[in-house]
Amino acid sequence: MSSIAKPKQFQLPRIFPRPKSHKGLWYWLATVDHKKIGTMYGLVAFFWFLVGGIEALLIRLQLGQAESSILSPEVYNQMFTMHGTTMVFLVVMPLSAAFFNWIVPLQIGARDVAFPRLNALSLWVFIFGTILMNISWFVGGAPNGGWFGYPPNSSLGFNPGNGITYWVMGLNILGVASIAAGLNFIVTIINMRAPGMHMMKMPVFTWMTLITSVLIVLALPILAVAGIQLTADRIYGTNFFNSEAGGDPIFWQHIFWLFGHPEVYILILPAMGIVSEVLPTFSRKPLFGYTAIVFAGIVIGFMGWFVWSHHMFTVGLGPAANTAFTITTMLIAIPTGVKIFNWISTLWGGSIKLNTSMLFSIGFIAMFTIGGLSGVTHAASPSDAQQQDTYYIVAHFHYVLFGGSIFAIFSGIYYWWPKFTGWLLDEKLGKINFVLMFIGFNLQFGPMHWLGLNGMPRRIYTYTEDMGWEDSNLAATLGGLIIAISVLVFLGNIILSKRKKQNSGGDPWDARTLEWSIASPPPHYNFVQIPKVKHIDDWWYRKYPELLEGNNQNIKKQKIEVEDSSNVDESKIHMPDLSYYPLIIGVGLTIAALGVMYTYALVTIGLIMVFWGSIGWSTEPVNEDSKEHH
Amino acid sequence: MSLLKDLFFYQGNKWWKIPETTELSKNPKNEHPFGGFMEKSKNILLILSSGKGHAGPIYYWIIAAILGIITMIEVWWFGIKELRYMLVPAMLIFSILKFALVVAFFMHLRFDHKMFSTIFITCMVVGILFFSVFLLLSAFHGLGT
Amino acid sequence: MSTNVTIHHGEEINNSTGVSHKKLLMWTFLGSDVMFFGTFIATFMAYRNKSLNGPYPEDTLNIPITSVSTFVLLMSSLGIVLALHYLKEAKMGLAKFWLLLVIIMGIIFIGFQIYEFSHFAHMGMTPQVNLFGSTFFTLTSLHGAHVSLGILWLIFLLINEHRGNLNSGNAIDLEIAGLYWHFVDIVWIVIFALLYLITANDGVPPGSIPWIGGH
Ligand code: HEM
Ligand SMILES: [Cu+2]
Repeated sequence: MSSIAKPKQFQLPRIFPRPKSHKGLWYWLATVDHKKIGTMYGLVAFFWFLVGGIEALLIRLQLGQAESSILSPEVYNQMFTMHGTTMVFLVVMPLSAAFFNWIVPLQIGARDVAFPRLNALSLWVFIFGTILMNISWFVGGAPNGGWFGYPPNSSLGFNPGNGITYWVMGLNILGVASIAAGLNFIVTIINMRAPGMHMMKMPVFTWMTLITSVLIVLALPILAVAGIQLTADRIYGTNFFNSEAGGDPIFWQHIFWLFGHPEVYILILPAMGIVSEVLPTFSRKPLFGYTAIVFAGIVIGFMGWFVWSHHMFTVGLGPAANTAFTITTMLIAIPTGVKIFNWISTLWGGSIKLNTSMLFSIGFIAMFTIGGLSGVTHAASPSDAQQQDTYYIVAHFHYVLFGGSIFAIFSGIYYWWPKFTGWLLDEKLGKINFVLMFIGFNLQFGPMHWLGLNGMPRRIYTYTEDMGWEDSNLAATLGGLIIAISVLVFLGNIILSKRKKQNSGGDPWDARTLEWSIASPPPHYNFVQIPKVKHIDDWWYRKYPELLEGNNQNIKKQKIEVEDSSNVDESKIHMPDLSYYPLIIGVGLTIAALGVMYTYALVTIGLIMVFWGSIGWSTEPVNEDSKEHH
Repeated sequence: MSLLKDLFFYQGNKWWKIPETTELSKNPKNEHPFGGFMEKSKNILLILSSGKGHAGPIYYWIIAAILGIITMIEVWWFGIKELRYMLVPAMLIFSILKFALVVAFFMHLRFDHKMFSTIFITCMVVGILFFSVFLLLSAFHGLGT
Repeated sequence: MSTNVTIHHGEEINNSTGVSHKKLLMWTFLGSDVMFFGTFIATFMAYRNKSLNGPYPEDTLNIPITSVSTFVLLMSSLGIVLALHYLKEAKMGLAKFWLLLVIIMGIIFIGFQIYEFSHFAHMGMTPQVNLFGSTFFTLTSLHGAHVSLGILWLIFLLINEHRGNLNSGNAIDLEIAGLYWHFVDIVWIVIFALLYLITANDGVPPGSIPWIGGH
């Protein structure tokens, strides 16, 4: 930062030498490159997607027929708790984070995120957090209080053992990771835009990342507090949710949903961003109403804070509160609707190319609309009195989370895959993947609407034959199996396409935003020259400058090539060096969290590691050659 | 009106206040209390400070003295039986005052890049609104039943 | 493409708003911390006057003692702006003096807190005993954890300053630590008003002057 010569710069003596080579295990453990970190986020999250999927399949198998006994009630509780927690915190959030990492710096024309080592820290803390949470399966049972963990069901008296504590500690560790990543992306997006890229010229995905990051940074601390309070209750015998001492379990519901509703927007806004990139590209038309979409995102981000009690319509807050929250909840559907209309208008009159990525995006619009509509039906508190805790709610949130987030994430995977790897995924298999997933999804979650309206409650491990729920449940189970097949097709697609390695080039889709103006996969410094931005969709208008003059007849594509980085002098490149300290801090934090449950010796060891890591971190130069400091 | 414009329009036409990016812009010269938009208090503070355009430490001492005095008033107020019935509003006002002084002057928010104010004030506003609703809900649990 | 570009990753190269990354990070983090403390404070307020059994706040809180520690923390905020001021002016002696003083004041504050906690425990007020205890201890001890972290950070900076690694050129490092420190201070300002002054008055029978406190 300063050019003043630094005398006798102190460096913590190293136990291991700083890794240098850009190959091998050490490189992956110590990398600070946002693309590598994004890849690891993606791989780990996809692994948990498979695990969570297996959990879901087991649940579906159990519910496929009346009175089956594939899972015992105890295991069933653990299954649905871990399925929900896994899908929310271990899959959708980190998959979004994978996209943030990979795409945002490329879209804003930056060489990396603002704090590369902090980024690595987020990754490692996340990975160890996932492991911590899942250790519980092997040491006396996984958490079984639902992904919302309501006390007193989750209090020590009703729920002895360590399951819930693992859940809380895991969530808190994951929260640290998310907050660190959120802070990092806020700074990156605000501060590292390429010259000329005004806020209102940023790609929509970057915008949604920014809003999501703000939500993460503000919402996750609330979950952390709830977690600390519950842990304190369980471990130290405090009284937060202990009604014997006057504590109020309803407060947990408040605090959890204070976090929980912003959280659902954390899950969906990145998906909205992805779709807003894919639709214009394959309609070959600018996004309809850029400003409106961005603005709607901001409004959602703000209003999302004032609707949480719609999750508590039946706890007896009273008509006054229920009415107020009915109104705010219904209002929030407006900006959501604005976005949907904008996407449809983007398709309108475009020259649409129906490839896999586009299909998933269109599927997203349709499914998300259904989910949004069922959301509005239970936004009305009187009607929700019938629906709360039934399968109708399960249908709702799977339409927004699976039909919404997961579809958009698949769309994003198919869209950006060539940027990640330099080769294309197979379109035929991709379409099979989409069709199977679409059918399976609707078969699985469609019937849940009427199952719920017919009164089937959530979180029951079985039901009797005379309820008349069997056919629909069987259909749902079949749907689940079809989804599983579609995921296998996706994996097969990757393997087969990798064998073929059909070269994609830097810009296979004739796309719009900056990430397509460089080679695929990008060199580790991304841009040879930081671009100067003049327009929204700058890359598109560089290719088709005539469009700017209002001429859209007979336009010719300019011959411009993606940036060539093959003959850059690597010795002149000063990117941040590798660092293993983030990994050490991540391990330390996890050990400390484990220690809270078992012994203070572990806490001490963990904290010492964190201390060691932090001192090492802050005394090592970011880059050994240029001695640049962070 | 001009306040609204100032809030929502940057350079007359942009509603977002984060400025246009410029190449290789340096840190703004805002590290002293006289930068930025504080034209009016400038003269008063010039007298208080060393007068070089840099805030002298005396300026911080004065803020600290005010903070200390408010704290003493708080404690004094608490000790007077007759004033107790006003305790809650008084303490809230005093603590908000102290809060604002530290944030504005010690943390330089008053003189720093506007973006920092935007960030911090947004968080404070969301937080305060949010937790007020929460407290109202818990205070009036079951209202209307 | 030219081959003779030097590729850098760093603040001075790529910075669209002109403010330092670190400072932006710190402000955003403080915004996040607002929510953290906000939730605890909200819980405290929601549980105010709801304890079913004693010891109650008016039996335990000792306002004069806490006023002293509050004052110390407030003045440490002054100390750190002065430390920063002198660091920027490259008056290293004064800068180090004030930083050291801030650290000492922080330690005094923590000392008071430890004394207070053990005193409370002595009077039978523990986190387990009632709602007041639970909410009070979690909030104040997490605040104390923030202060302790701040002390460690400042010690680290002081060592750097002493070795000449922290100078007017990278005063930003002290500046962000200062922001953190001030924030911890303003949280305490709120805590002092809400958890001490207002709470100590809860349920006081008319006519008594409980602020002598502490039995
Ligand atoms: C159009 C906007 C939306 C409205 C009006 C809406 C409304 C609601 C309401 C009223 C509930 C509570 C139902 C109950 O428990 O009785 C609910 C539950 C839920 N919503 Fe939405 N929602 C909307 C969008 C979303 C989105 C975008 C997501 C996530 C991506 C989402 C995820 C969820 C989840 C996960 C639950 C269930 C939480 C649980 O009980 O486990 N919703 N929604
Ligand atoms: Cu909600």
